[in-house]
Amino acid sequence: MSKIVRPEDSVLRRFLLLELFAGLWVTLKHQFRPHVTQEYPRERPELRPRFRGVPRLRDHPGAEGPLCVACNQCALACPDHCITVVAEDRKGGKGKQPKSFHIDYERCCHCGLCVDACPTKPITAIYMSHDYEMAQYARDDFMTDLRGLYEGHVPREYKR
Amino acid sequence: MFGTTEMQINMGPQHPSTHGVLRLELKLDGERIVDTRPVIGYLHRGCEKLGEDRTYAQAIVYTDRMDYCAAFAENLVYAEAVERLLGVEVPPRAQYMRVVLAELQRIASHLIWLGTHAMDIGALTVFVYGMREREFILDLFESYCGARLTYNAVRVGGMPEEFPEGWVEEARRFCDVLPSRLDEYHQLLTANRIWLARTRGVGTIDGKTALDWGMTGPCLRGSGVAYDVRKAIPYEAYADLDFDVPIGEAGDTYDRYLCRMEEIRQSRRIVLQALDKLPGGEIRGKVPRRIKPPKGEVYHVNEGPRGELGVYLVSDGSEHAYRCRFRSPNFVNLQALPDMVRGHLVADVVAVIGTLDIVLGCVDR
Repeated sequence: MSKIVRPEDSVLRRFLLLELFAGLWVTLKHQFRPHVTQEYPRERPELRPRFRGVPRLRDHPGAEGPLCVACNQCALACPDHCITVVAEDRKGGKGKQPKSFHIDYERCCHCGLCVDACPTKPITAIYMSHDYEMAQYARDDFMTDLRGLYEGHVPREYKR
Repeated sequence: MFGTTEMQINMGPQHPSTHGVLRLELKLDGERIVDTRPVIGYLHRGCEKLGEDRTYAQAIVYTDRMDYCAAFAENLVYAEAVERLLGVEVPPRAQYMRVVLAELQRIASHLIWLGTHAMDIGALTVFVYGMREREFILDLFESYCGARLTYNAVRVGGMPEEFPEGWVEEARRFCDVLPSRLDEYHQLLTANRIWLARTRGVGTIDGKTALDWGMTGPCLRGSGVAYDVRKAIPYEAYADLDFDVPIGEAGDTYDRYLCRMEEIRQSRRIVLQALDKLPGGEIRGKVPRRIKPPKGEVYHVNEGPRGELGVYLVSDGSEHAYRCRFRSPNFVNLQALPDMVRGHLVADVVAVIGTLDIVLGCVDR
């Protein structure tokens, strides 16, 4: 426990406006420092490797068929209940594969719990992608199916 | 002929300096405040009810959304409460990692407070500088857990991931830069006559009244009461770390300002110490995949950036909490506002809201 130190008050300093000039000196120094702001649509932020964008699906060349085994664990782990998986028998093998896989990006909160729950370790079938520009014109467009989950979100080019 | 009447006006909920959707019913005599009534609930999303509907692991995601300026502190207190219900021991490495991240979060939260508080009073520059330093911390969090605001960076029983490569060095670099930046804020504000005129003697509350209202955190310590959960009931690795708790005297806005500024320095000290002492080993304790605590109840507190964060959980032995209740320091501190602004001018209300450092997401939950 320690008492805070209040700065001393001096008549001379107050009379000469010294503290105001000290503040102005700080802002003046900043005029000559490099910019730290990003001009967003023109400059893109450099994302860290663990960045959590929207969840997507992926395959692995080492695995036969889709990596996802349609176990429904991600849907159970999701706090927003935004994942719907329908399973079918795996083509040419044992087990299951997803017949349809829907994620409602409108409800997804990017928490990453689905990735934690995914049993296909160490490479998980569902993963947090680096896509972050998710604006859409209609609510239905947020519902993403298997194809959309594999291909990812291609940002639309806008022209005047 | 010149008789005056009291006037009632609304401040907020759409007011830039009420830090969100706080509505204040001000009763005014001219420009003087006779009485104030905070009207809250505009940001109620039912986080507590959701905590009873979702499993223990899922509920951590909703604690992110309560105090969105200090999501990690909320994550932490909830996870600790569940760990106490389960009786799980957290490995020492995870404890130190939690301390590092919690203190970085405290610095980030105090930088937001500094920026917005100064901006409300009219010093716009500090806001921009404060946000610049906060960006460092957000980058560190992004690098650690992948999110910049709603982290979900604690799991029941430990931490989700190791620090990535180069993270510790990056955190140290930030700690090296921070003191010089703090000196700049001090040069801009601490002796500034406008700042002094707007903060000194404004929103004064003495220690006893503050305690009666149940205030905690820097708001209480600014009034000279030495109470900090990190010292009083040490949790995680705080008992092994050496730090000071700054105490104010007068209990006015200026003292609370100095307290928080000193807390940033102390948090930096804690981060550096914890990084030095960071032990090796496991980061996840032994927790079953499906978390089903035994029947019982627990109330757990820790020191958030704004005061004593509390979680009350009742378990009925299932995967969901039977009852989940959060003690939000913002909500409690806000109740003292009428006492603090009585007799002041309308412009001082803005300063007092700033010094209380409320986040409406946590007030309304």
